[in-house]
Amino acid sequence: MGFRSDGSVLAVESCRAVLAEAPSPFQDSGFVCVGDRIETDVSEGFLRGHGTYVIDGVLYASVCGLKERVNKLISVRPLKQRYAAEIGDVVVGRVTEVAGKRWRVDLKSRQDAALMLSAVNLPGGIQRRRTMEDELNMRLVFEEGDLISAEVQSLHADGQINLQTRSSKYGRLVGGQLVEVPATLIKRQKFHFHHLEDLGVDMIVGCNGGVWVGPHDAHKSADTQDGGHGREEAVLVMPTMPSFTPQQRGKAARVANAVRVLAILYLPVHSASIQDTCQAAMQLDLGAADMLKLPFIQHLAEQEVQRRQQDEMQAD
Amino acid sequence: MPKDVVSVPLPRKPRPTNVIVNGTRLDGRGPEEFRPIFLSTGVIPQASGSVYAELDKTKLMVGIYGPRPSDRWHGFSEEGHLDCDVKMAPFSGGQRTKWGQSPEEREMAGLLGVAVEAGVQRSAFPKATVDVQCLVLEAGGGELAVAVAAASLALADAAIPMRDLITSCTVSRVDNQLLLDATSDEAFQEDGSVLLAMMPSLNQVTQLLVKGAWSGGELDEAIQLGMTGCAEMDGICRQVLQEAIAPP
Repeated sequence: MGFRSDGSVLAVESCRAVLAEAPSPFQDSGFVCVGDRIETDVSEGFLRGHGTYVIDGVLYASVCGLKERVNKLISVRPLKQRYAAEIGDVVVGRVTEVAGKRWRVDLKSRQDAALMLSAVNLPGGIQRRRTMEDELNMRLVFEEGDLISAEVQSLHADGQINLQTRSSKYGRLVGGQLVEVPATLIKRQKFHFHHLEDLGVDMIVGCNGGVWVGPHDAHKSADTQDGGHGREEAVLVMPTMPSFTPQQRGKAARVANAVRVLAILYLPVHSASIQDTCQAAMQLDLGAADMLKLPFIQHLAEQEVQRRQQDEMQAD
Repeated sequence: MPKDVVSVPLPRKPRPTNVIVNGTRLDGRGPEEFRPIFLSTGVIPQASGSVYAELDKTKLMVGIYGPRPSDRWHGFSEEGHLDCDVKMAPFSGGQRTKWGQSPEEREMAGLLGVAVEAGVQRSAFPKATVDVQCLVLEAGGGELAVAVAAASLALADAAIPMRDLITSCTVSRVDNQLLLDATSDEAFQEDGSVLLAMMPSLNQVTQLLVKGAWSGGELDEAIQLGMTGCAEMDGICRQVLQEAIAPP
């Protein structure tokens, strides 16, 4: 839902219906509803996973979704859910508040995350105790409304999320655009920072559904390459908008629209699928704006159906 | 708007005095039948979960927002909060209502909260709040019962962990006859009513609201009728969720 640029929500629904007809990558995992009893093998025993609960040794579903079983662990995965953080996730969030010794960051999760002053690199790059002065100068590092990339450092039992940006690859994001997609579409991967060389675009696929896309900034990447040491002064400089040519921006818009199209069709968002989508648009000689129009969405849906059918044939 | 413009009250239609004619109800239903039910999920794109529910002339929407971090004044709580709000649209009844929250709305929000909260696993979202916002577009009778069922469906749509779906229905007594799912005309003539909200799979009642004087046997009968009604509603709700996830 929420797709309006073509004025034809129904047509997009029909594309989704085309996808629904295609062979599903989720085999033999049935759909369960809230309160449904989940059959378990009595002799084998079971482990209660997410989305389930137990009454008198009987397992019930607590959310609607697809039943998943990994050995003894049985869980139910809902199709859409707010982001649930895991340690080590790369996330893209927005600073909502500068509080004492911490920034509050909105990750579109159940709770706002906290980025402690002790979990950021200080301007200048030296390691030392954080002083009162640092606390007063916190706005020089991140301000309210800043978009930042960070890593989930720790989780607490009460749902608190702590972040860290203690590497120069994390930090404030400028000169690009943020595309928000459902967090369930994003798969945790080895790399979440991407440099698409043929397009000259930098991309951060945040596990919380925030995908940041911007033209490649050669100056910034020089920082990243020296391992996060030295040259930290670059971070201290207040955000100067890097100047990019319209062509560079156009390419970034193309990648951003690829992410949007994938989200419209509710397909997984990762660097390979984004690049494939960009290539498909390029083959059809479509501009960035045309990627959000119905013919291309239909084309993608059909391509996906074909791909799944091929996969199924190979599996047989 | 200038203050001297006086709104003209709509002429109120007279309520029918006989709601049961020759054993059938005015809309042709039997005593133990629901009005035609239409439920649809995912109607509000920006909400985490949403439902539009329509039972003939009762039409309402429920939107679920969150879980989001609780407001500071809630203090620390290991269990999440459920914030229920019911709004009757000014045009929902025959008479245009005044600006602001009315006592009826506040009461409905409280009753809705009690009915729904019992089914929600609040420990799954500590320190967080889930907003349940219900907008009654047209009040044709039994709004609260429909709101409870729609809210639980919307919570399921938002993937908020629950113990079971909560369904609800009303039973009215008119001329010593028990009527399931009364319209507002029927409810106007009733001398007693029961509102039952329950979790049918677990066979647990989350809300029971009895009005009027009932004898023990009569009340038993009314609750039994309510339970069959809830079970019927539960079947429909599950079908709606199934279709939302996998179109037939």
